[in-house]
Amino acid sequence: MMRIPRHSVQVRFTHWITALSIFALFFTGFGQMPIYKRYFIDQVPGLEWSSNYLVTLNVHYYAAMVLIFISFFYAGYLLLSKKTDILPRKGDFKESLIIFASLLGLAKEPENDKYLAEQRMAFAVTGLSIAGLIITGLIKILKNLPDAHIPLQISFWATQVHNILTVILLISIVVHLLAFLIKDNRPLFPSMFNGKISLDYARHRHSLWITRIEKDK
Amino acid sequence: MSISRRNFIKRAAYSGIAATAVLSGVNKTAAAFNTTDEYATIIDVTKCDGCHGLDTPRCVSACRKKNQDKFPQPEKPIMDYWPQPKHEDWSDKQNLINRLTPYNWTYVQHLQVEHEGNIHQVHVPRRCLHCDNPPCSSLCPFGVNEKMPEGPVVINPDGCFGGAKCRDVCPWQIPQRQAGIGLYQEVVPKYAGGGVMYKCDLCYDLVQKGQEPACISACPNNAISFGPKKDMQSYAKNWVKDKGGYLYGDLENGGTSTYYLSLIPFNAIHDAIIEQEVDGKPGKPGMPVGVANILDKPAGMARSMLIAPFAGLLAAGLSVYKTMTGVDNDENSEA
Repeated sequence: MMRIPRHSVQVRFTHWITALSIFALFFTGFGQMPIYKRYFIDQVPGLEWSSNYLVTLNVHYYAAMVLIFISFFYAGYLLLSKKTDILPRKGDFKESLIIFASLLGLAKEPENDKYLAEQRMAFAVTGLSIAGLIITGLIKILKNLPDAHIPLQISFWATQVHNILTVILLISIVVHLLAFLIKDNRPLFPSMFNGKISLDYARHRHSLWITRIEKDK
Repeated sequence: MSISRRNFIKRAAYSGIAATAVLSGVNKTAAAFNTTDEYATIIDVTKCDGCHGLDTPRCVSACRKKNQDKFPQPEKPIMDYWPQPKHEDWSDKQNLINRLTPYNWTYVQHLQVEHEGNIHQVHVPRRCLHCDNPPCSSLCPFGVNEKMPEGPVVINPDGCFGGAKCRDVCPWQIPQRQAGIGLYQEVVPKYAGGGVMYKCDLCYDLVQKGQEPACISACPNNAISFGPKKDMQSYAKNWVKDKGGYLYGDLENGGTSTYYLSLIPFNAIHDAIIEQEVDGKPGKPGMPVGVANILDKPAGMARSMLIAPFAGLLAAGLSVYKTMTGVDNDENSEA
Protein backbone atom coordinates (compact mmCIF):
# COMPACT_ATOMS: atom_id res chain seq x y z
CA MET A 1 0.00 0.00 0.00
CA MET A 2 1.40 3.36 -1.00
CA ARG A 3 1.47 5.85 1.82
CA ILE A 4 1.83 9.59 1.93
CA PRO A 5 3.33 11.68 4.75
CA ARG A 6 0.66 13.75 6.43
CA HIS A 7 1.92 14.82 9.84
CA SER A 8 5.48 16.08 10.30
CA VAL A 9 7.41 15.02 13.34
CA GLN A 10 6.90 18.53 14.76
CA VAL A 11 3.12 18.22 14.39
CA ARG A 12 3.05 14.79 16.01
CA PHE A 13 5.31 16.04 18.82
CA THR A 14 2.99 19.01 19.34
CA HIS A 15 -0.11 16.82 19.28
CA TRP A 16 1.06 14.32 21.86
CA ILE A 17 2.75 16.78 24.20
CA THR A 18 -0.39 18.93 24.05
CA ALA A 19 -2.56 15.90 24.74
CA LEU A 20 -0.47 14.79 27.70
CA SER A 21 -0.19 18.24 29.24
CA ILE A 22 -3.91 18.90 28.79
CA PHE A 23 -4.76 15.57 30.38
CA ALA A 24 -2.57 16.50 33.37
CA LEU A 25 -4.12 19.98 33.45
CA PHE A 26 -7.66 18.59 33.40
CA PHE A 27 -6.93 16.11 36.17
CA THR A 28 -5.16 18.59 38.43
CA GLY A 29 -7.45 21.46 37.44
CA PHE A 30 -10.53 19.53 38.49
CA GLY A 31 -8.53 18.67 41.60
CA GLN A 32 -8.65 22.35 42.53
CA MET A 33 -12.22 21.60 43.50
CA PRO A 34 -12.67 19.29 46.46
CA ILE A 35 -13.92 16.33 44.46
CA TYR A 36 -11.18 13.70 44.71
CA LYS A 37 -11.52 13.34 48.45
CA ARG A 38 -15.30 13.38 48.38
CA TYR A 39 -15.45 10.76 45.63
CA PHE A 40 -12.71 8.55 47.13
CA ILE A 41 -10.36 9.04 44.14
CA ASP A 42 -7.56 9.55 46.65
CA GLN A 43 -8.25 6.04 47.95
CA VAL A 44 -7.18 4.58 44.60
CA PRO A 45 -3.64 3.18 44.94
CA GLY A 46 -1.20 5.61 43.33
CA LEU A 47 -3.63 8.53 43.47
CA GLU A 48 -3.33 9.32 47.17
CA TRP A 49 -1.85 12.72 46.22
CA SER A 50 -4.92 13.72 44.21
CA SER A 51 -6.69 15.39 47.13
CA ASN A 52 -3.61 17.36 48.20
CA TYR A 53 -4.13 20.87 46.82
CA LEU A 54 -0.45 21.78 47.08
CA VAL A 55 0.57 18.76 44.98
CA THR A 56 -2.17 19.20 42.37
CA LEU A 57 -1.43 22.92 42.12
CA ASN A 58 2.27 22.25 41.58
CA VAL A 59 1.56 19.60 38.94
CA HIS A 60 -0.91 22.01 37.31
CA TYR A 61 1.84 24.64 37.11
CA TYR A 62 4.36 22.16 35.65
CA ALA A 63 1.85 20.93 33.08
CA ALA A 64 0.95 24.54 32.25
CA MET A 65 4.63 25.22 31.65
CA VAL A 66 4.70 22.32 29.18
CA LEU A 67 1.50 23.49 27.45
CA ILE A 68 2.86 27.06 27.11
CA PHE A 69 6.11 25.68 25.74
CA ILE A 70 4.38 23.50 23.16
CA SER A 71 1.89 26.21 22.19
CA PHE A 72 4.69 28.64 21.42
CA PHE A 73 6.63 25.87 19.71
CA TYR A 74 3.66 25.17 17.44
CA ALA A 75 2.90 28.84 16.80
CA GLY A 76 6.54 29.33 15.85
CA TYR A 77 6.42 26.23 13.65
CA LEU A 78 3.29 27.46 11.82
CA LEU A 79 4.81 30.89 11.25
CA LEU A 80 8.23 29.69 10.11
CA SER A 81 7.28 26.58 8.12
CA LYS A 82 4.22 28.24 6.54
CA LYS A 83 2.46 24.84 6.66
CA THR A 84 -0.82 26.46 7.50
CA ASP A 85 -3.28 23.94 5.99
CA ILE A 86 -4.94 23.54 9.39
CA LEU A 87 -5.88 27.22 9.78
CA PRO A 88 -9.54 28.04 9.09
CA ARG A 89 -10.51 29.64 5.80
CA LYS A 90 -13.37 31.74 4.56
CA GLY A 91 -16.47 29.62 3.98
CA ASP A 92 -15.37 26.87 6.38
CA PHE A 93 -18.43 27.21 8.56
CA LYS A 94 -20.81 26.67 5.63
CA GLU A 95 -18.69 23.83 4.29
CA SER A 96 -18.66 22.17 7.72
CA LEU A 97 -22.46 22.16 7.64
CA ILE A 98 -22.38 20.49 4.22
CA ILE A 99 -19.96 17.84 5.51
CA PHE A 100 -22.23 17.25 8.47
CA ALA A 101 -25.22 16.95 6.17
CA SER A 102 -23.29 14.48 4.02
CA LEU A 103 -22.77 12.28 7.07
CA LEU A 104 -26.54 12.07 7.37
CA GLY A 105 -26.81 11.30 3.68
CA LEU A 106 -28.43 14.63 2.94
CA ALA A 107 -25.66 16.04 0.77
CA LYS A 108 -22.59 15.04 -1.17
CA GLU A 109 -19.31 15.54 0.72
CA PRO A 110 -17.34 18.34 -0.92
CA GLU A 111 -13.81 17.76 -2.22
CA ASN A 112 -11.39 18.26 0.64
CA ASP A 113 -7.96 19.75 1.00
CA LYS A 114 -5.41 18.32 3.47
CA TYR A 115 -7.88 18.95 6.26
CA LEU A 116 -11.66 19.01 6.21
CA ALA A 117 -13.36 22.36 6.78
CA GLU A 118 -14.74 21.00 10.06
CA GLN A 119 -11.24 19.98 11.14
CA ARG A 120 -10.00 23.51 10.49
CA MET A 121 -12.97 24.88 12.46
CA ALA A 122 -12.32 22.44 15.32
CA PHE A 123 -8.66 23.46 15.32
CA ALA A 124 -9.68 27.12 15.69
CA VAL A 125 -12.04 26.37 18.59
CA THR A 126 -9.43 24.23 20.35
CA GLY A 127 -6.58 26.64 19.66
CA LEU A 128 -8.50 29.69 20.81
CA SER A 129 -9.69 27.85 23.93
CA ILE A 130 -6.12 26.91 24.78
CA ALA A 131 -4.93 30.48 24.14
CA GLY A 132 -7.69 31.81 26.40
CA LEU A 133 -6.89 29.23 29.07
CA ILE A 134 -3.22 30.21 29.00
CA ILE A 135 -4.01 33.92 29.29
CA THR A 136 -6.55 33.50 32.11
CA GLY A 137 -4.30 30.92 33.75
CA LEU A 138 -1.42 33.38 33.78
CA ILE A 139 -3.67 35.97 35.42
CA LYS A 140 -4.58 33.37 38.05
CA ILE A 141 -0.89 32.58 38.61
CA LEU A 142 -0.14 36.29 39.01
CA LYS A 143 -2.95 36.54 41.54
CA ASN A 144 -1.38 33.76 43.59
CA LEU A 145 1.99 35.50 43.83
CA PRO A 146 2.73 37.13 47.15
CA ASP A 147 2.21 40.90 47.09
CA ALA A 148 0.47 40.75 43.73
CA HIS A 149 -2.54 43.00 43.68
CA ILE A 150 -4.65 41.97 40.75
CA PRO A 151 -7.94 43.93 40.85
CA LEU A 152 -10.70 41.75 42.27
CA GLN A 153 -12.87 42.07 39.16
CA ILE A 154 -10.08 40.92 36.88
CA SER A 155 -9.22 37.87 38.96
CA PHE A 156 -12.91 37.00 39.36
CA TRP A 157 -13.52 37.12 35.60
CA ALA A 158 -10.27 35.34 34.82
CA THR A 159 -11.48 32.53 37.09
CA GLN A 160 -14.92 32.34 35.45
CA VAL A 161 -13.52 32.45 31.89
CA HIS A 162 -10.87 29.84 32.79
CA ASN A 163 -13.61 27.53 34.08
CA ILE A 164 -15.88 28.09 31.06
CA LEU A 165 -13.04 27.56 28.55
CA THR A 166 -12.13 24.36 30.37
CA VAL A 167 -15.61 23.04 29.67
CA ILE A 168 -15.43 24.17 26.02
CA LEU A 169 -12.03 22.51 25.58
CA LEU A 170 -13.28 19.34 27.24
CA ILE A 171 -16.26 19.22 24.87
CA SER A 172 -14.03 19.86 21.84
CA ILE A 173 -11.73 16.99 22.87
CA VAL A 174 -14.67 14.65 23.39
CA VAL A 175 -15.97 15.58 19.92
CA HIS A 176 -12.43 15.08 18.54
CA LEU A 177 -12.37 11.55 19.95
CA LEU A 178 -15.95 10.79 18.92
CA ALA A 179 -14.96 11.61 15.33
CA PHE A 180 -13.40 8.16 15.20
CA LEU A 181 -16.85 6.64 15.54
CA ILE A 182 -17.28 7.70 11.92
CA LYS A 183 -15.75 4.96 9.82
CA ASP A 184 -14.54 7.28 7.08
CA ASN A 185 -12.28 9.10 9.56
CA ARG A 186 -10.51 6.03 10.93
CA PRO A 187 -7.76 5.69 8.29
CA LEU A 188 -6.41 9.03 9.59
CA PHE A 189 -5.67 7.51 12.98
CA PRO A 190 -2.23 5.89 12.34
CA SER A 191 -0.91 9.16 10.98
CA MET A 192 -0.71 10.63 14.48
CA PHE A 193 1.77 7.85 15.29
CA ASN A 194 3.76 7.21 12.11
CA GLY A 195 2.89 10.41 10.23
CA LYS A 196 1.53 8.68 7.13
CA ILE A 197 -1.80 7.78 5.58
CA SER A 198 -2.77 5.58 2.64
CA LEU A 199 -2.42 7.32 -0.71
CA ASP A 200 -5.64 5.73 -1.96
CA TYR A 201 -7.52 7.06 1.02
CA ALA A 202 -5.95 10.50 0.56
CA ARG A 203 -6.95 10.52 -3.12
CA HIS A 204 -10.50 9.60 -2.19
CA ARG A 205 -10.99 11.88 0.82
CA HIS A 206 -8.45 14.69 0.29
CA SER A 207 -8.42 15.02 -3.47
CA LEU A 208 -7.61 18.74 -3.50
CA TRP A 209 -4.52 18.09 -1.39
CA ILE A 210 -3.22 15.28 -3.59
CA THR A 211 -3.90 17.27 -6.75
CA ARG A 212 -1.93 20.16 -5.26
CA ILE A 213 1.03 17.96 -4.29
CA GLU A 214 1.10 16.29 -7.71
CA LYS A 215 0.90 19.65 -9.46
CA ASP A 216 3.82 20.97 -7.36
CA LYS A 217 6.03 18.05 -8.35
CA MET B 1 -1.21 51.76 78.53
CA SER B 2 -3.44 51.02 75.66
CA ILE B 3 -3.71 52.46 72.24
CA SER B 4 -6.56 54.91 72.01
CA ARG B 5 -8.32 53.14 69.24
CA ARG B 6 -11.78 54.56 69.10
CA ASN B 7 -10.60 58.14 68.92
CA PHE B 8 -8.17 57.08 66.30
CA ILE B 9 -10.86 55.79 64.00
CA LYS B 10 -13.37 58.53 64.66
CA ARG B 11 -10.90 61.25 63.91
CA ALA B 12 -10.10 59.69 60.59
CA ALA B 13 -13.75 59.19 59.74
CA TYR B 14 -14.77 62.70 60.64
CA SER B 15 -11.91 64.47 59.00
CA GLY B 16 -11.82 62.23 55.97
CA ILE B 17 -8.26 63.32 55.47
CA ALA B 18 -5.00 62.15 56.84
CA ALA B 19 -5.02 62.84 60.53
CA THR B 20 -2.22 62.75 62.99
CA ALA B 21 -2.90 60.88 66.15
CA VAL B 22 -0.92 59.97 69.18
CA LEU B 23 -0.65 56.41 70.31
CA SER B 24 -0.65 56.93 74.03
CA GLY B 25 1.94 54.82 75.75
CA VAL B 26 3.85 54.17 72.59
CA ASN B 27 5.75 57.44 72.82
CA LYS B 28 5.58 57.97 69.14
CA THR B 29 3.38 59.85 66.79
CA ALA B 30 1.21 57.64 64.70
CA ALA B 31 1.50 58.14 60.99
CA ALA B 32 -1.38 59.86 59.32
CA PHE B 33 -4.08 57.60 58.00
CA ASN B 34 -7.35 57.79 56.20
CA THR B 35 -10.16 55.41 55.43
CA THR B 36 -8.32 53.85 52.49
CA ASP B 37 -5.45 52.65 54.67
CA GLU B 38 -4.78 48.99 55.34
CA TYR B 39 -5.65 48.11 58.91
CA ALA B 40 -4.42 45.59 61.41
CA THR B 41 -5.25 44.34 64.88
CA ILE B 42 -3.10 43.81 67.91
CA ILE B 43 -4.26 41.16 70.38
CA ASP B 44 -2.32 41.57 73.60
CA VAL B 45 -2.60 38.20 75.29
CA THR B 46 -1.12 39.64 78.50
CA LYS B 47 -4.22 41.83 78.89
CA CYS B 48 -6.91 39.29 78.05
CA ASP B 49 -8.40 37.61 81.12
CA GLY B 50 -11.02 35.70 79.13
CA CYS B 51 -13.68 37.92 80.75
CA HIS B 52 -13.34 35.97 83.95
CA GLY B 53 -16.71 35.53 85.65
CA LEU B 54 -18.77 36.03 82.51
CA ASP B 55 -20.48 33.14 80.71
CA THR B 56 -19.42 34.57 77.36
CA PRO B 57 -16.38 36.78 76.81
CA ARG B 58 -17.43 40.24 75.68
CA CYS B 59 -15.61 40.05 72.33
CA VAL B 60 -17.48 36.84 71.55
CA SER B 61 -20.91 38.19 72.49
CA ALA B 62 -20.26 41.43 70.59
CA CYS B 63 -19.28 39.43 67.50
CA ARG B 64 -22.35 37.21 67.72
CA LYS B 65 -24.66 40.19 68.17
CA LYS B 66 -23.07 42.15 65.32
CA ASN B 67 -23.20 39.25 62.87
CA GLN B 68 -26.41 37.48 63.87
CA ASP B 69 -28.20 38.56 60.69
CA LYS B 70 -25.48 36.92 58.61
CA PHE B 71 -25.69 33.56 60.37
CA PRO B 72 -26.96 30.71 58.15
CA GLN B 73 -30.60 29.68 58.06
CA PRO B 74 -30.33 26.25 56.41
CA GLU B 75 -33.25 24.48 54.80
CA LYS B 76 -33.99 21.15 56.46
CA PRO B 77 -33.69 18.23 56.08
CA ILE B 78 -30.07 18.60 54.98
CA MET B 79 -28.64 16.09 52.49
CA ASP B 80 -25.39 14.22 53.02
CA TYR B 81 -22.41 15.00 50.81
CA TRP B 82 -22.96 11.95 48.58
CA PRO B 83 -21.22 9.45 48.48
CA GLN B 84 -19.95 10.45 51.93
CA PRO B 85 -22.41 9.57 54.69
CA LYS B 86 -22.10 12.96 56.40
CA HIS B 87 -22.67 16.70 56.23
CA GLU B 88 -21.68 19.62 58.42
CA ASP B 89 -24.57 21.08 60.34
CA TRP B 90 -24.05 23.45 63.25
CA SER B 91 -27.58 24.85 63.24
CA ASP B 92 -28.56 22.87 66.33
CA LYS B 93 -25.42 24.02 68.13
CA GLN B 94 -25.71 27.74 67.58
CA ASN B 95 -25.00 28.46 71.23
CA LEU B 96 -21.53 26.90 71.19
CA ILE B 97 -18.96 29.50 72.18
CA ASN B 98 -15.96 27.23 72.78
CA ARG B 99 -14.95 26.86 69.12
CA LEU B 100 -15.27 28.49 65.72
CA THR B 101 -18.52 27.54 64.01
CA PRO B 102 -20.64 29.14 61.29
CA TYR B 103 -22.48 30.76 64.21
CA ASN B 104 -19.43 31.74 66.25
CA TRP B 105 -16.71 33.60 64.41
CA THR B 106 -14.46 34.31 67.35
CA TYR B 107 -13.80 32.51 70.61
CA VAL B 108 -11.36 32.59 73.50
CA GLN B 109 -9.02 29.72 74.20
CA HIS B 110 -8.56 29.31 77.96
CA LEU B 111 -5.21 27.60 78.43
CA GLN B 112 -2.85 26.47 81.12
CA VAL B 113 0.56 27.01 79.63
CA GLU B 114 3.72 25.64 81.13
CA HIS B 115 6.73 27.90 80.75
CA GLU B 116 10.01 27.78 82.64
CA GLY B 117 8.56 25.48 85.22
CA ASN B 118 5.50 27.61 85.98
CA ILE B 119 1.90 27.18 84.90
CA HIS B 120 0.34 30.32 83.45
CA GLN B 121 -3.33 30.99 82.77
CA VAL B 122 -3.44 32.29 79.22
CA HIS B 123 -6.51 33.45 77.31
CA VAL B 124 -6.20 33.78 73.55
CA PRO B 125 -9.00 35.32 71.45
CA ARG B 126 -9.07 33.46 68.15
CA ARG B 127 -10.50 34.30 64.76
CA CYS B 128 -9.32 34.82 61.17
CA LEU B 129 -5.94 36.58 61.12
CA HIS B 130 -6.66 38.24 57.73
CA CYS B 131 -3.44 37.23 55.97
CA ASP B 132 -1.45 39.44 53.63
CA ASN B 133 -1.43 36.79 50.90
CA PRO B 134 -4.37 34.61 51.93
CA PRO B 135 -4.37 31.18 50.25
CA CYS B 136 -8.08 30.86 51.13
CA SER B 137 -8.76 33.78 48.83
CA SER B 138 -6.23 33.01 46.09
CA LEU B 139 -7.25 29.37 45.82
CA CYS B 140 -11.03 29.77 46.04
CA PRO B 141 -12.22 27.90 42.92
CA PHE B 142 -15.07 30.36 42.46
CA GLY B 143 -13.16 33.58 43.15
CA VAL B 144 -15.62 34.66 45.83
CA ASN B 145 -13.22 35.02 48.75
CA GLU B 146 -11.63 38.43 48.57
CA LYS B 147 -8.74 40.20 50.22
CA MET B 148 -10.00 43.75 50.58
CA PRO B 149 -7.71 46.77 50.19
CA GLU B 150 -8.32 47.66 53.85
CA GLY B 151 -7.01 44.24 54.92
CA PRO B 152 -10.04 42.08 55.76
CA VAL B 153 -10.50 38.80 53.90
CA VAL B 154 -14.20 38.47 53.11
CA ILE B 155 -16.19 35.48 51.82
CA ASN B 156 -19.17 36.29 49.63
CA PRO B 157 -21.87 33.89 50.93
CA ASP B 158 -23.90 34.27 47.71
CA GLY B 159 -21.12 32.82 45.52
CA CYS B 160 -19.70 30.27 47.96
CA PHE B 161 -20.21 26.62 47.02
CA GLY B 162 -19.03 25.27 50.37
CA GLY B 163 -16.24 23.01 49.13
CA ALA B 164 -14.26 24.01 52.24
CA LYS B 165 -11.05 24.35 50.25
CA CYS B 166 -10.44 27.67 52.03
CA ARG B 167 -10.44 25.78 55.31
CA ASP B 168 -8.10 23.10 53.97
CA VAL B 169 -5.48 25.60 52.77
CA CYS B 170 -5.68 27.83 55.87
CA PRO B 171 -2.92 27.03 58.37
CA TRP B 172 -5.48 27.50 61.12
CA GLN B 173 -8.51 25.97 59.36
CA ILE B 174 -10.51 29.07 60.26
CA PRO B 175 -13.53 29.12 57.88
CA GLN B 176 -16.36 26.87 59.06
CA ARG B 177 -19.01 25.22 56.93
CA GLN B 178 -22.77 25.06 57.22
CA ALA B 179 -24.61 22.67 54.92
CA GLY B 180 -28.12 23.13 53.57
CA ILE B 181 -27.64 26.71 52.43
CA GLY B 182 -26.20 28.60 49.48
CA LEU B 183 -25.63 28.33 45.76
CA TYR B 184 -25.00 24.57 45.66
CA GLN B 185 -28.61 23.97 46.64
CA GLU B 186 -29.62 25.46 43.26
CA VAL B 187 -27.33 23.20 41.18
CA VAL B 188 -26.86 19.51 42.01
CA PRO B 189 -26.90 19.56 45.81
CA LYS B 190 -26.54 15.83 46.18
CA TYR B 191 -23.35 15.55 44.14
CA ALA B 192 -21.45 18.84 44.37
CA GLY B 193 -20.91 21.57 46.94
CA GLY B 194 -21.38 21.50 50.66
CA GLY B 195 -22.92 24.73 51.90
CA VAL B 196 -21.41 28.09 52.72
CA MET B 197 -18.19 28.93 54.57
CA TYR B 198 -18.33 31.43 57.42
CA LYS B 199 -15.64 33.33 59.26
CA CYS B 200 -14.76 36.72 60.70
CA ASP B 201 -14.82 39.51 58.10
CA LEU B 202 -13.32 41.99 60.58
CA CYS B 203 -16.70 43.75 60.52
CA TYR B 204 -15.87 44.97 57.05
CA ASP B 205 -18.95 47.18 56.85
CA LEU B 206 -17.78 49.05 59.95
CA VAL B 207 -14.18 49.29 58.71
CA GLN B 208 -15.43 50.82 55.46
CA LYS B 209 -17.20 53.46 57.52
CA GLY B 210 -14.01 54.19 59.42
CA GLN B 211 -15.24 52.39 62.53
CA GLU B 212 -13.55 49.59 64.40
CA PRO B 213 -14.73 45.96 64.53
CA ALA B 214 -17.28 45.02 67.21
CA CYS B 215 -14.95 42.76 69.21
CA ILE B 216 -12.46 45.59 69.66
CA SER B 217 -14.95 48.09 71.03
CA ALA B 218 -16.32 45.42 73.37
CA CYS B 219 -13.07 44.44 75.08
CA PRO B 220 -13.11 45.76 78.66
CA ASN B 221 -9.35 45.33 79.05
CA ASN B 222 -8.22 47.02 75.86
CA ALA B 223 -6.56 43.76 74.92
CA ILE B 224 -7.52 44.21 71.26
CA SER B 225 -6.43 47.29 69.33
CA PHE B 226 -7.13 48.38 65.79
CA GLY B 227 -5.44 50.88 63.53
CA PRO B 228 -3.34 51.46 60.43
CA LYS B 229 -1.31 48.38 59.73
CA LYS B 230 2.09 49.99 59.62
CA ASP B 231 1.52 51.58 63.03
CA MET B 232 0.21 48.37 64.55
CA GLN B 233 3.16 46.45 63.17
CA SER B 234 5.76 48.85 64.48
CA TYR B 235 3.99 49.06 67.84
CA ALA B 236 3.99 45.27 68.06
CA LYS B 237 7.66 45.01 67.19
CA ASN B 238 8.62 47.72 69.67
CA TRP B 239 6.53 46.04 72.37
CA VAL B 240 8.36 42.77 71.82
CA LYS B 241 11.72 44.51 71.93
CA ASP B 242 10.89 46.55 75.06
CA LYS B 243 9.30 43.72 77.03
CA GLY B 244 11.32 40.79 75.78
CA GLY B 245 8.06 39.25 74.59
CA TYR B 246 6.89 37.27 71.59
CA LEU B 247 5.00 38.18 68.44
CA TYR B 248 2.71 35.92 66.42
CA GLY B 249 1.15 36.76 63.06
CA ASP B 250 3.86 38.96 61.55
CA LEU B 251 5.69 36.15 59.77
CA GLU B 252 3.18 33.32 59.93
CA ASN B 253 1.62 32.33 56.59
CA GLY B 254 3.74 35.04 54.97
CA GLY B 255 2.34 37.82 57.15
CA THR B 256 -1.10 38.68 58.51
CA SER B 257 -3.08 41.67 59.71
CA THR B 258 -3.24 40.33 63.26
CA TYR B 259 -0.39 40.66 65.75
CA TYR B 260 -0.56 38.59 68.92
CA LEU B 261 1.66 39.78 71.76
CA SER B 262 2.69 37.51 74.61
CA LEU B 263 5.32 37.20 77.31
CA ILE B 264 5.14 33.43 76.96
CA PRO B 265 6.56 31.86 73.79
CA PHE B 266 3.92 30.90 71.24
CA ASN B 267 5.50 27.47 70.92
CA ALA B 268 4.39 26.79 74.49
CA ILE B 269 0.94 28.24 73.78
CA HIS B 270 0.64 26.08 70.65
CA ASP B 271 1.58 22.97 72.63
CA ALA B 272 -1.08 23.81 75.22
CA ILE B 273 -3.71 24.31 72.49
CA ILE B 274 -2.85 20.94 70.96
CA GLU B 275 -3.05 19.27 74.35
CA GLN B 276 -6.06 21.03 75.85
CA GLU B 277 -8.16 22.30 72.94
CA VAL B 278 -7.83 20.36 69.73
CA ASP B 279 -10.45 17.62 69.39
CA GLY B 280 -9.81 16.44 65.85
CA LYS B 281 -12.44 18.67 64.28
CA PRO B 282 -11.86 22.07 62.70
CA GLY B 283 -12.69 25.18 64.69
CA LYS B 284 -10.04 24.90 67.39
CA PRO B 285 -6.95 26.40 65.75
CA GLY B 286 -3.42 25.94 66.99
CA MET B 287 -0.66 28.56 66.78
CA PRO B 288 2.13 26.87 64.81
CA VAL B 289 5.07 29.27 64.92
CA GLY B 290 6.47 30.31 61.54
CA VAL B 291 3.90 28.27 59.61
CA ALA B 292 4.55 28.61 55.86
CA ASN B 293 2.16 29.80 53.18
CA ILE B 294 1.00 26.98 50.91
CA LEU B 295 1.54 29.30 47.92
CA ASP B 296 5.24 29.93 48.56
CA LYS B 297 6.45 27.01 46.45
CA PRO B 298 4.14 27.56 43.46
CA ALA B 299 5.21 31.23 43.51
CA GLY B 300 8.84 30.23 42.98
CA MET B 301 7.81 27.96 40.14
CA ALA B 302 5.64 30.63 38.52
CA ARG B 303 8.67 32.81 37.94
CA SER B 304 10.54 30.07 36.13
CA MET B 305 7.48 29.61 33.93
CA LEU B 306 8.43 32.77 32.03
CA ILE B 307 11.06 30.76 30.21
CA ALA B 308 8.51 28.41 28.57
CA PRO B 309 7.37 30.66 25.68
CA PHE B 310 10.93 31.55 24.73
CA ALA B 311 12.04 27.93 24.89
CA GLY B 312 9.06 26.98 22.69
CA LEU B 313 9.89 29.58 20.04
CA LEU B 314 13.57 28.67 20.08
CA ALA B 315 12.79 24.98 19.65
CA ALA B 316 10.41 25.81 16.77
CA GLY B 317 13.09 27.91 15.07
CA LEU B 318 15.67 25.15 15.39
CA SER B 319 13.38 22.39 14.17
CA VAL B 320 12.11 24.35 11.15
CA TYR B 321 15.69 25.33 10.30
CA LYS B 322 16.69 21.66 10.38
CA THR B 323 13.75 20.71 8.16
CA MET B 324 14.47 23.48 5.66
CA THR B 325 18.12 22.53 5.44
CA GLY B 326 17.08 18.96 4.75
CA VAL B 327 18.38 17.41 7.95
CA ASP B 328 14.96 16.36 9.15
CA ASN B 329 12.54 16.55 6.26
CA ASP B 330 9.86 13.95 6.62
CA GLU B 331 6.80 15.64 5.21
CA ASN B 332 5.72 15.70 1.61
CA SER B 333 9.05 14.21 0.63
CA GLU B 334 7.70 10.94 -0.65
CA ALA B 335 4.47 9.86 -2.23
